Amino acid sequence: MIHVRELTKSYTDMAQGRNVALAGISFDVMPGQIYGLLGPNGAGKTTALRILSTVLQPSGGAATVNGYNVVTQPAQVRRQLGFVSANTAVYDRMTGWEMVEYFGRLYGLEDDLLRNRMEVIFDRLQMNDIRDVLGAKMSTGMQQKVSIARAIVHDPPVLIFDEATSGLDVLVARALMGTVSELRDQGKCIVFSTHIMREAERLCDKIAIMHRGRFLAEGALEELLESRQENDLEELFFGLISQHDERWLAGAFETPAGRNE
Amino acid sequence: MKWLNVKLIFQREVRDQLRDRRTMFTIFVLPLLLYPLMGMSMMQVAQFLREHPTKILVLGADQLPAEPQLIEENRFLSKYCLNQDDARLLELTLGDGEETGYSKGKQASFDQRMQAVIDRGEFDAVLVFPPGFGRRLADAAAGAGEVRPPQADAIRPRIFYNTTKDKSRMAHDRISYVLRAWREHMVAATLARNKLPALTTRPFQVEYRDVAPVASRRAAVWSKVLPFVVLIWALTGAFYPAIDLCAGEKERGTLETLLCSPAGRNEIVFGKLATVMVFSMATALLNLLVMSGTATFAVRQLEASAGQPLAIGSPPLSAIWWLVLALIPLSALFSALALGIATFARSAKEGQYYLMPLLMITLPLMMLPMLPGVELDLGTSLIPVSGVMLLLRALIEGEYARAAQFTLPAMGVTILCCHFAIRWAIDQFNNESVLFREGERWRLDLWMKNLISQREDTPTFAAAIMCGVLILMMRFFSSMMASTPGHWQGFVTSTLLVQIAFIATPALLMSIMLTRRPRRTLLLQMPHPAAIPAAIGLAVALHPAVVKMGEFISWLYPMSAETTRLLEPIGAMLNEAPLSVLLLAMALAPAICEELAFRGFILSGFRHMGHRRSAVLLSAVFFGVTHGILQQSISATAVGMVLGYLAVQTGSLLPCVLFHFTHNSLLLIAGRLPNSDLIYDKTTVVLGTLAAVSILLWVRSLPKHYTDEEKRQGVLEHPQPAPVIK
Repeated sequence: MIHVRELTKSYTDMAQGRNVALAGISFDVMPGQIYGLLGPNGAGKTTALRILSTVLQPSGGAATVNGYNVVTQPAQVRRQLGFVSANTAVYDRMTGWEMVEYFGRLYGLEDDLLRNRMEVIFDRLQMNDIRDVLGAKMSTGMQQKVSIARAIVHDPPVLIFDEATSGLDVLVARALMGTVSELRDQGKCIVFSTHIMREAERLCDKIAIMHRGRFLAEGALEELLESRQENDLEELFFGLISQHDERWLAGAFETPAGRNE
Repeated sequence: MKWLNVKLIFQREVRDQLRDRRTMFTIFVLPLLLYPLMGMSMMQVAQFLREHPTKILVLGADQLPAEPQLIEENRFLSKYCLNQDDARLLELTLGDGEETGYSKGKQASFDQRMQAVIDRGEFDAVLVFPPGFGRRLADAAAGAGEVRPPQADAIRPRIFYNTTKDKSRMAHDRISYVLRAWREHMVAATLARNKLPALTTRPFQVEYRDVAPVASRRAAVWSKVLPFVVLIWALTGAFYPAIDLCAGEKERGTLETLLCSPAGRNEIVFGKLATVMVFSMATALLNLLVMSGTATFAVRQLEASAGQPLAIGSPPLSAIWWLVLALIPLSALFSALALGIATFARSAKEGQYYLMPLLMITLPLMMLPMLPGVELDLGTSLIPVSGVMLLLRALIEGEYARAAQFTLPAMGVTILCCHFAIRWAIDQFNNESVLFREGERWRLDLWMKNLISQREDTPTFAAAIMCGVLILMMRFFSSMMASTPGHWQGFVTSTLLVQIAFIATPALLMSIMLTRRPRRTLLLQMPHPAAIPAAIGLAVALHPAVVKMGEFISWLYPMSAETTRLLEPIGAMLNEAPLSVLLLAMALAPAICEELAFRGFILSGFRHMGHRRSAVLLSAVFFGVTHGILQQSISATAVGMVLGYLAVQTGSLLPCVLFHFTHNSLLLIAGRLPNSDLIYDKTTVVLGTLAAVSILLWVRSLPKHYTDEEKRQGVLEHPQPAPVIK
């Protein structure tokens, strides 16, 4: 469903010059699976997911979503996925209903189909009380519900959640994870990025630990713990990151730019 | 492009803006309040100014003749005043018997005292009659013969006033009018007394006939003011929604939401552009209507109070109609520019800062048509914004034949600019470094270090701009500092120095320091073998057309007398120089140096934009601007585009150097021939152009070399169609 091979991304910024955000990552995500990208801030999770959603272009490598190439077929890719991120906000001056309807129309859904789907989604996500509430008047939890409704209104086979729980209180975060879990049960192919260990432990079928644009480890939670002989994901995560930082400082990695970035 | 998506985005954005109170206030409420308030205040101020009395101190009034009487009961006689109001408003204070500063040695201190009197605001002006004024006037009137110099002083009253104070200036005007009228009365009386006809002092009169129709005369002021006001509001009306729709959305995080949707970047830009355009037009139109309404009301009020028609009439209805028509392309242009700039901004606050540079660029173009003597002709019609404003002026003034003549060039240039501005806005939306620009701290030392240590194969866009600006600045300062040499040897030396030190050296040094592959940057590789004769042939074939183009540009924008005068000695100097030396300094040196800089370093950097044609155009503009004189710059820009195309297609600098050398050599040789103007007839120009087109078609067939950015842009511009979900 999602196939990523040797994906790289580098960019230049005014202060630091050339930066390598992704140094060649590869992974596959299947339908009915939640794939967790776990990493500290700046690990490259958002960059990877922005490339998958065609918002950014990769510097190298390849990625396909439901068979469509993210570089050569961006319009098709965007139709295959729903993207929810801490960065994808809701419109202040639109009501919940108007917002979801707007994106449904952009996805080209027919009027009747759109209305039916919206009724179902608003019921399922318990959003009927915010149908006519403007985005600016909504709480963060309400806004996140609208974001999810917007992302699934066209019933996409692939869903991407990029640190979608950041800034949410425990109750809303738990409800969101419940929704993600339900979507997995419906056979959706889901990528879920987070830097919170417990979320990854509870939700993900497969986890990739990411740091400085690289995968440090990848596999099911049990496999990861067993291979590294750890009992706790947090310990495993901390150990891998520290180990990698030590090697990085020692200049052990060659990046696409030819040196440690 | 799916127009349904454009429509959806447009509808959403319009609804969003209509729900924004700030936008609604600026666009709809402000004009409704502003002009009536402005009109009322101006009428009040005008009333105040009209009604305001001016205080005059009259010294030496006791010296005035009894006949004809000038002052009665501390007032000038009303028959000498412009109207009854003036007679009433000139408040006189008579200082009879005081020192009047005509005595020798006392003049300076008297002048200072008068200055102090006016500065303190005690009086707005002081009128001083000299001692013996009345007696001497009587002598003169009695025909006492010629007036000798000492007496001439005696019959010269003085008015002390201060030009920096409005009321003082007004007082001066009123007193001057009164004294003139009084003097004319005296002359008439003297003539009558001596039984001389009135024609003695005025042997003939001039009759003035304004041939402009009354409607045009009354529309003349509006033809200048209205286009300016409308365009300013169109620009402002475009800018604020553009900031909210781009920088504002970026800041609020909703832009990324839209970028993830199936709407393509072009569709997003067109949807937003249409919205900005609607608000730009709405702002301009509403301002136009309310301003016209207020002006009509004010003019009627003033005419009613004056009891006669004023020189300035109400804005004609036809003016509004023409303005609405012209507003469509101009709003599109301003909207696209505003959208591109607003996309670049990280936040709405940062976006506000970019309004000033945009105004700085467009204001001179809006002010140009308001300058005296600037009229609609082919040259001015081709200037963006100014051309349309002049066209509007002609239409408002009813000069339809003239307007029809230049509609095509004026609108053509506007549409072309609009096309480029829209493309630029789309490019901004396709540029992820612009869309996801974050507020990183910029440090010069780090930036310079990274520029060198992490350099790429070819220069970045910023490095190319830096090189271009550096060359321009060095050329500008060198031309300011250096004086025109007296001999051709000096001219040749300075030309070589400029070419090598100020053009080639920066490009070479920057290629070595800022790129990994200077040879690739400067296109120092062999082209297709046939490209060498093709480049020389192209220069020869294009030469007649280039010469004709130069003549056309000189006709379109004639060189000023001052520039011609400055260039004449240089031309004479060049005629003295041996041709071989001239070919070295003015053909070979520019061919190598300028090509290294403009088609080498600068064009290579611009190609990182991802648009080959824009890169060629931009490098040609830099090449043109370095030529200094407008007429040469236009011609050089056109030639620079051919050179850029050669560089991009052949991937080598050699054809460009050969073209440039051949082109310049032909110009120099042609200048040495007698009757050089007659060299090319129409047939030669047409045949040469056809040959040039054939060569360019061959050049087009050469294998293309794309940069990574150009390949990526190609994918963005031609994505595969998406299926419809049902």
